[in-house]
Amino acid sequence: MDKILRINMGASGGPSQAVEKAGEYTALGGRATTSMIVAKEVPPDCHPLGAENKLVIAPGMLSGTAAAMSGRISVGCKSPLTGGIKESNAGGQAAQVMARLGYAAIILEGKPATDDLYKIHIDKDKVTISVDNSLKLMDNYPLVEKLREEYGDKVAYMTIGSAGERKMAAASIACSDPELRPSRHCGRGGVGAVMGAKQVKAIIFDDNGCKNRQPKDPEKYKAANRAYVEGIRKHAVSGEGLPAYGTNILTNVLNEAGGYPTNNFKTGFFEGGTKISGEAQAELEIKRGGLATHGCHRGCVIQCSGIYNDKDGKFLTKQPEYETVWSHGGHCGIDDLDTIAMLDFLDDNIGVDTIEMGVAVGVAMDGGVIEFGDCEGAIRLVRDEVGKGTPLGRILGGGAELTGKAFAVERVPVVKGQALPAYDPRTVQGIGVTYATSTMGADHTAGYAVATNILKVGGDVDPLKPEGQVDLSRNLQIATTAIDATGMCLFIAFPILDQPETFDALLDLLGSFYGIEMTGDDVVALGKKVLTLEREFNKKAGFGAEDDRLPRFFKTEPLAPHNLTFAVKDEELDELYNWS
Amino acid sequence: MPTTADLSLQLTLKSRQISEFFPLLQRGIWLPATTGCSVIKLLSNQLGIAEDYVADRITTLFLDGKAIDDAAASFVKDGSTLALSSAMPGLVGSTMRRGGHLAAMRGEITYHQTKVLTVGAGKVKIKLFNMLMKEVGPLLLERGFIISGAELVTLLTEGEASFQDGCVSVSVNDRPYSCDELGGKLLTILSPQQTILLKIIWKD
Ligand code: SF4
Repeated sequence: MDKILRINMGASGGPSQAVEKAGEYTALGGRATTSMIVAKEVPPDCHPLGAENKLVIAPGMLSGTAAAMSGRISVGCKSPLTGGIKESNAGGQAAQVMARLGYAAIILEGKPATDDLYKIHIDKDKVTISVDNSLKLMDNYPLVEKLREEYGDKVAYMTIGSAGERKMAAASIACSDPELRPSRHCGRGGVGAVMGAKQVKAIIFDDNGCKNRQPKDPEKYKAANRAYVEGIRKHAVSGEGLPAYGTNILTNVLNEAGGYPTNNFKTGFFEGGTKISGEAQAELEIKRGGLATHGCHRGCVIQCSGIYNDKDGKFLTKQPEYETVWSHGGHCGIDDLDTIAMLDFLDDNIGVDTIEMGVAVGVAMDGGVIEFGDCEGAIRLVRDEVGKGTPLGRILGGGAELTGKAFAVERVPVVKGQALPAYDPRTVQGIGVTYATSTMGADHTAGYAVATNILKVGGDVDPLKPEGQVDLSRNLQIATTAIDATGMCLFIAFPILDQPETFDALLDLLGSFYGIEMTGDDVVALGKKVLTLEREFNKKAGFGAEDDRLPRFFKTEPLAPHNLTFAVKDEELDELYNWS
Repeated sequence: MPTTADLSLQLTLKSRQISEFFPLLQRGIWLPATTGCSVIKLLSNQLGIAEDYVADRITTLFLDGKAIDDAAASFVKDGSTLALSSAMPGLVGSTMRRGGHLAAMRGEITYHQTKVLTVGAGKVKIKLFNMLMKEVGPLLLERGFIISGAELVTLLTEGEASFQDGCVSVSVNDRPYSCDELGGKLLTILSPQQTILLKIIWKD
């Protein structure tokens, strides 16, 4: 990965391309690469859908190698949803193939002068950018089917559906999975709208004739990968819970804790929780001949995903994740797995973020558009309104905040314009700190459970002190940013958190690949550097301390059954970015 | 839910039928128990779950909706609900873990013992999630649990074909019934308000 492909979609006479040396980005990946390029090259006050914004695509540090779990791809830009910097990542095959082609990043910039729609084919010899207006307003599944006729099955696709072309702020970018289904999405923040604004419908990565990237120290690398995989396999979460039930294993536990936001954050317990739990989902998938264990890309050893078939045993969608089951399920008062799976498919097909879409539908329910629990109504809103780009669909596709304004809803669960995911911050106050202060807007992955106790980010934390919540969140955000920078799947966090030898194996893996010594301190420094750049970008884009807040209703409306309000003080939140 | 039952039903089932009980185990089953004791005493001494298993495998516990950090210092009262889970993914999953590094992030819903409880006969509702349904479920179901007639009818009708298929023997108040009567005649002698002590005996 020693080169960067820069495509200027707005060049006179049609899109131009240039290949540059990767330079300072050579030994970086994922969020580190996207955020550094965006921070350096994008004017923070530009319009997210204008020519000055850039869409940066970067594989992980170890993508395209034999390293396990290394196939996440990051997309960065200024977000049309939040107005701040954005990194959104997904699985699928694109990261592996792009990395084998040798690209550390692809930068899409400018904006075409005409309304032509483009596709970009990249193989080892050349980059072909061509107009293909026959793809206009196609959704992801039929789109990829059509592209497969031309480019075949030995490639990876990154595409946008109709929502991306319509530049909806909830639009996602789809990455094809090993079965070439466009089911893995860079979902958050409207990155699909930015691709739509560049008028790029599809990027086709073709690594025919390319080999896996080779490590500098093959022996050490092999041993490290073995230890790392062993560590993942032997851990109860990554080796058992996630493969068996996927992330939806969380539904029962969150519900039991009274932290499962129900009917647009009105209560913390959903009566129908057990009907849509990961346990129920896995049983149904197996019964219908689907799969409860499946990887989103080759080289994933955890395999938290699955295949969800309909009542007739035909593929309906990939296994909906916990956040999706929540957003379209409990958040909307819906306790029917088939409805949720259909909504997951529709989201993937149209190309919208499942969290943003589900939360927007729930807010619309609160605004009286349809009733809570209305399965058919929810499907109709997504399929017939968002999918067809009607005025109502454009409001919903604009995200939860816009939907709340349109229907005069007081309780709108967003931070920096981005919908809160599936954990009520009144019950788990620590996550509320992360939601409030993340550079990305409300994001459950921003402060993942990473090895703060091993990394000793910012020294030892006394979690029993009141300020412990902020300290913990800060450390989690730094460590998570670092993991995002490696481009590894975040679910490696558990074996790393609990097993110091697995964390060491990861460091050895990175170090032996690049021929450098990597320490925990290096990882922390990288995390801090990226977060600082992101924070600076947001400040210049107009964000201040007042944006690092949860919506007020979390402070004023007690959540049943524990009757809690969010109690972390504003001054404490303001301390989050105080680090040396 | 009373602690004694109106009638007792014993089903002998093939062990693969355990999955028919998964929805029920997630919602929770009422077990007669001596209450006023610690969670660890309940699980190990009364329910027969090995202490090592509790320590290693049951890493996430909720007592009446509150996360438990110390099973020896958390006490069940008559009518308590105890939910048991193995380790959970995600930030919040980690936060909920017993005595975990991130426990402070959910300080507001952490269980704290406030008063000494009296020991006596009572009942507790046990909910089992994920791996524990398969691993602990058979043991608890074999001990016997109290279920309402309405719930039992739902259980038997929802899984009727499977129960018929995996049924070895049935007895009501020690009187044998044929397996064919599981979904039919047996249901007619149950009223929704009745309470039944249901015991499942597992046959490989
Ligand atoms: S664990 Fe899940 S999200 Fe991570 S790479 Fe594997 S399938 Fe994808």
